[in-house]
Amino acid sequence: MLAIAVGGALGTLARYGVERAVATDAVGFPWGTLSVNVVGSLVLGIVVTLVVGRWPDDRWLRPLVGVGFCGGFTTFSTFVVEIDQRARHGHAGTALVYLVVSLVAGLAAAFAGSMLARGRLPIDVAGSDLPDPDLLAGDDDRPGPDTSAGTPT
Amino acid sequence: MILLGLVVAGAAGALLRYEVELRVRRRLGPAFPYGTLLINISGSFVLGLLTGLAEHHGVRTAVVTVVGTGLIGAYTTFSTFAVDSVGLLQRGRMRAAAVNVSASVVLGLGAAGLGLVVGHAL
Repeated sequence: MLAIAVGGALGTLARYGVERAVATDAVGFPWGTLSVNVVGSLVLGIVVTLVVGRWPDDRWLRPLVGVGFCGGFTTFSTFVVEIDQRARHGHAGTALVYLVVSLVAGLAAAFAGSMLARGRLPIDVAGSDLPDPDLLAGDDDRPGPDTSAGTPT
Repeated sequence: MILLGLVVAGAAGALLRYEVELRVRRRLGPAFPYGTLLINISGSFVLGLLTGLAEHHGVRTAVVTVVGTGLIGAYTTFSTFAVDSVGLLQRGRMRAAAVNVSASVVLGLGAAGLGLVVGHAL
C-alpha cells in the first residue's frame, strides 16, 4: 500500500512536470499527455513482463513502479477530455490524429516493452505471453463481453 | 502548496484505482480487464464534469490541478489499458482486445462528453 501511494505520488508529480513543460492550449496538439502515456506504457510493459517472468516473488517493484508510478504517470481521463475539447472547438482533425496516434503508439510501446524485457528472460519463459498486469493474474480463455460498442472512429 | 496537494491526490488516486481493480477482479474474474475499463470511464466522466464546471463557473485553478491532474489523473491509467490490450492480443484473444480498446475509447469519450455537458448545465 505504501509502495503504491509513493509510486502514485511520484508518477503524478512527473506527469505534472511534463505537462507544465509542454503546455498547450485547449486546441493545440497535446504532446505532453501523448509522451507520458507512451513512455508509461513502455515502462509498464517491461515491468509486468520482468516481474512475472523473472521475479514472481517480487514484493515492491510492481506496486511501486507498475501500479503506482506508471499508473499515476499515465492518464486516460486527460486523454479523452483533450479529444472532446478539440472536437468541440472545431479541431476534429487534431482530435482524430491525437486519438489514433495515442492508441497506436501506446499499444506499440507496451508491446515493445514486453519484447525488450523478454530478451532478458530465461529461455523457459521467453515464449510466454505478456501476463495480466494485476496481482491475481489468470489466463483462461473465456471470451470477452459483446458490448457492441462500435469502433473508435 | 500545489505540489503537496498533487502528492496527496496522486497517492490517493493510485490507491483508489488499486482498490477498485481488486474488487472488480474478485467479482468478475481476471479474463477481461473490466476493472480498468470501469476506472477509466468513471474517471473520464468526473474529469469532464470538472472541466465543464471550470469553463463555465470559474473553479479555482488550484482545485482543477489537484483534483483533475492529481486525483483523477492518477486514478485513471493509460499504461494498464495498453498493457492489458497487448496482453489479450498476445494470447490470441483478438476480439476481446478489440472490445477493450473500442469500449475504452467510445465509452470514455462519451463519459467525458457527458461530464462536460453536465458541468456546463449546472
